[in-house]
Amino acid sequence: MSASPLRPARRAAGRLLAGLLTGQLAGQLAGQASRAAGLAGGAGGADDPPSGSPLIVAAFPAVDAIVREASGRWAARQAGVPLQIVSRQFNDHHTAMTTALSTASNLPDVMALEVGYVGRFALGHGLENLAAPAYGLDSERQRCVPYAMAQGTSPTGAQVAVPTDIGPGTLLYRHDLLERSGVDLAALTSTWEGFVGAGAQLKARTGALLLAHARDLKDILIRTGLAAGEGLYFNAQSEVLVQSPRFQRAFELARSVRRQGLDARVTAWSNDWSEGFRRGTIATQMSGAWLAGHLANWLAPQTAGRWRAAQLPEGAYAAYGGTFFAIPRALPAARKARAWALVRLLTFDRAQQLAAFRAHDAFPALRETYDDAFFAEPMPFLGGQPARLLWREAALRIQAPTVHKQDAFADEVINTELDKVMDQGKAIAPALADAARLLARRAHR
Amino acid sequence: MRQTAAALLQALARRDLAAASRILTDVLPVRLSPATVPYVLISPFVLLFLVFSLFPLVFSLYLAFHVWEPTDGLAAMTYVGIDNFRFALGDDWFWKSLGNTVWMALASGVPQHLVAIPLACFLNSGLGRGRDLAVGVFFLPYITSTVAIAILFSSLFSTDYGLINLALAHLHGIPLLGTLLPAQPVDWMGRPENIKPAISLIVFWRYLGFNVVLYLAALQTIPGDLYEAARMDGAGWFRQFWFITLPSLRPMLFFAVTLSVIGGLQLFEEPFILTGGKGGSDQAGMSTAIYLYRTAFDFNDFGAASAMSWLLFFLVAGLTYATNRAFRPRAGSQ
Amino acid sequence: MATRSSTSSSADRLAPLMAHLLVGVGGLLMLAPFWFMFVFATHSRTDIFSLPPPLWFGDASLGNLQILTSRLPFWRNLGLSLYVAAASTGFTLLFCSMGGYAFAMFEFRFKRALFALVMGTLLVPSFMNMIPTFMIMNALGWIDQPRALFIPGAANAFGVFLVRQFVIASIPRDLVEAARMDGCSELGIYWRIVLPLLRPALGTLGLITFIASWNNFIGPLIVMRSPEMYTLPLALRALQSPVDTEWGALMTGSAIATLPLLVLFMLSSRQLIAGLTSGAVK
Repeated sequence: MSASPLRPARRAAGRLLAGLLTGQLAGQLAGQASRAAGLAGGAGGADDPPSGSPLIVAAFPAVDAIVREASGRWAARQAGVPLQIVSRQFNDHHTAMTTALSTASNLPDVMALEVGYVGRFALGHGLENLAAPAYGLDSERQRCVPYAMAQGTSPTGAQVAVPTDIGPGTLLYRHDLLERSGVDLAALTSTWEGFVGAGAQLKARTGALLLAHARDLKDILIRTGLAAGEGLYFNAQSEVLVQSPRFQRAFELARSVRRQGLDARVTAWSNDWSEGFRRGTIATQMSGAWLAGHLANWLAPQTAGRWRAAQLPEGAYAAYGGTFFAIPRALPAARKARAWALVRLLTFDRAQQLAAFRAHDAFPALRETYDDAFFAEPMPFLGGQPARLLWREAALRIQAPTVHKQDAFADEVINTELDKVMDQGKAIAPALADAARLLARRAHR
Repeated sequence: MRQTAAALLQALARRDLAAASRILTDVLPVRLSPATVPYVLISPFVLLFLVFSLFPLVFSLYLAFHVWEPTDGLAAMTYVGIDNFRFALGDDWFWKSLGNTVWMALASGVPQHLVAIPLACFLNSGLGRGRDLAVGVFFLPYITSTVAIAILFSSLFSTDYGLINLALAHLHGIPLLGTLLPAQPVDWMGRPENIKPAISLIVFWRYLGFNVVLYLAALQTIPGDLYEAARMDGAGWFRQFWFITLPSLRPMLFFAVTLSVIGGLQLFEEPFILTGGKGGSDQAGMSTAIYLYRTAFDFNDFGAASAMSWLLFFLVAGLTYATNRAFRPRAGSQ
Repeated sequence: MATRSSTSSSADRLAPLMAHLLVGVGGLLMLAPFWFMFVFATHSRTDIFSLPPPLWFGDASLGNLQILTSRLPFWRNLGLSLYVAAASTGFTLLFCSMGGYAFAMFEFRFKRALFALVMGTLLVPSFMNMIPTFMIMNALGWIDQPRALFIPGAANAFGVFLVRQFVIASIPRDLVEAARMDGCSELGIYWRIVLPLLRPALGTLGLITFIASWNNFIGPLIVMRSPEMYTLPLALRALQSPVDTEWGALMTGSAIATLPLLVLFMLSSRQLIAGLTSGAVK
């Protein structure tokens, strides 16, 4: 047993090992001596759904709450199939899903996936293609926001995940600070150079900083002006794109922000970040629609009424986050059918999507919700602005860049080089060249 | 035989040691010979070890020679020979992470022992009734939850409002001492040159008490009459420490230093939570273990991660062996 | 000689004072984060995320507890954690004391190779084992079973190593030989002579094992699938997301989770460290 795995050519040796273990150990140990351990186990890993067996949904906060709140609607449709929600910490959840898919065992019926992981999982073949005739999703593609649907599509055209909520990006800004500094909103949001210039004036007159981190500016700039089908860091042939003018400009503007001292140098979700919002030292934040809800609920409730939302400068549209549901390919057919019924409820049911929007700021991916009166309601936290209309407009205009296997790594490399440019005075051209060299080494792995 | 084994496991699962030992004595010859007894003693350990520790080891070795898209299932492995090792050895970030790891292991590990041994001696002899309390206090960081530590230190190390920078600013006002200290608030977690010291400090803080407890337990076993005799001979505290305490601590020192070497080179949790799982600006706080984790679960390259973990394994093994050699002359002989 | 002793006596008076002071200040630094954990447990997440953070207790602990118990089967998770940690400690103490004693006191075939192998497993980063461990647990049918958490850990290289070092240091071979001469059986020697002498080591190992089991989250992450079967660290982590974490509830949960360890440590430190001097060394 210990020798065979070393013999390389056997592709299925992993299977063999598992088989050996199943046959030998499982029979001897698990069967006989293991019932003794006190506390009885939960649901076993059933392969077929006996009637009444629960439908297992694996998720992370706050998607778990959304699914839990959908259980009433679910019971109305599928009486006798209880929902069992398995919730884990965000990273833990995706790690657990990787592990479950890798061994095709103990899979949930439905898994929630954050957009960053959808792209990654779509590169493998562990998720069911929902565009297959059995699901009939192809005829319904138009019902969801186009860019989100595209994000759930694998390079080979399989629809591996269906979007449920999205994060259309806008600029949240402190209306009061802008007024005090005499900066015009148009000046802030016409061009990116104007944005930075307005930031300098803002700081001079009010002391407030334009951005939480200069990196945020780089992030949005490398996401704008992409050609159709182009990826962020690589093109379809895995050629590295980071020495393009897109990156040049992004680095230049980020550096200029840092040189003028216009960023607070704090990362999102840190104490300094939320404190910056509370004290009004950070005047703008680019983010998904959902941030307004978090600011109002707990990040900076005392700043209610002082914030507004605007479209990003230069007509830039970008997505900040988003959640999808997927079904593992290795499930038995009967379980897939049940799972699909739940996915449909969560993603294609108007009432359900709107309920999640109201309760959790989960901006709907389902377009037919967009005529609801809720979108036009004034938002007190944003001084009565009906900002959901802005987000709706952004949602329909966003383009999804093509995903590459090494995007996560590239993201990291680019951030590193940007730090060197901003903190250590490294010139931009060699920084991007260094990044390109590192990425080229990985591009085909 | 099978039934007895099952009954034994059941008894063990019930934690019914009496029943377990009854079963054992029924099965085994009542009077084991000294030649067979070690096999009996190590067998439960070895059995569990083979199943739960060796298989993962073999699996990761196997994986190190393959490329694998994990979400495709186990059948999707493709053999690539030593390609993963070649990639790892030529990878800038792997070497960088090794450098970081050694830096942090030394900066956090060496002071741990230099402080823990005298501290344990002091607590053992000098505190009397307050000792339990003092040991408890130093042990607390070890049982404080990592979540709490993460939040806490990110607020302590905060640039503009953190208590550490606040304290530094106050100290800066003091004439002589002040000139040694920075005038500007220190960007602890944002600047690459500050990340490693900050992390090392936290690791030191967290494991000092753990080492104190280890050394204290070992100090308990030193017979008091040894010191008595030494005092009669007129030996001062330093000579007592040097000629009695230190030699007696040797096996424990070996143990604790080995753990520090292993733990230091596998440093993961503290830098992981403090840098948000990424390793910080310029990857200054990215230990090799974090890089391995990221290579596998963030960058989706399980083969390369396995290869790197084996390279790390050989490094740690080599250093552990060196530690072993350094302590050997006396360790086995007592 | 006389002068030397007189200078050292004045130093002798100053040194302990300095040492007390140093240890006192060090202790306060050690204590601070622990203090904050309990303070934070009584504040809402909005307060926790202000800077400087709150230094004194607030009034949100009931609210936090309510969030905690509504989001998680918290008390059940706590109970399961206790059960797993206790079982883990029991098994580890038994198996590791046996193994460590054998490695220290006996000669047998493959001893060196086996010991090297055991030490070797200490050196593999634990998350590299995630997928193979999952495969084994799945093959055994141990998914969602508490035993998957305490059986594998019982073969613990750290424990064997600790016991081995202790036996080498503090159990004289002559004692074992003498017992053998007196006609004591081998298992009897282990049970009646070696184990009692190992009390300090076992106390330390037990404490460390309990804490490690209590804080372990990679293990439960691999094998536990239903929230009712989560141990505390996994359950508490399930409250966390990058954007929407109930920090107050999380701190309350963490603080409660630390209490059993605190009690255990108080009990065992009195038992181990204070009681030892009389017990072990005679």
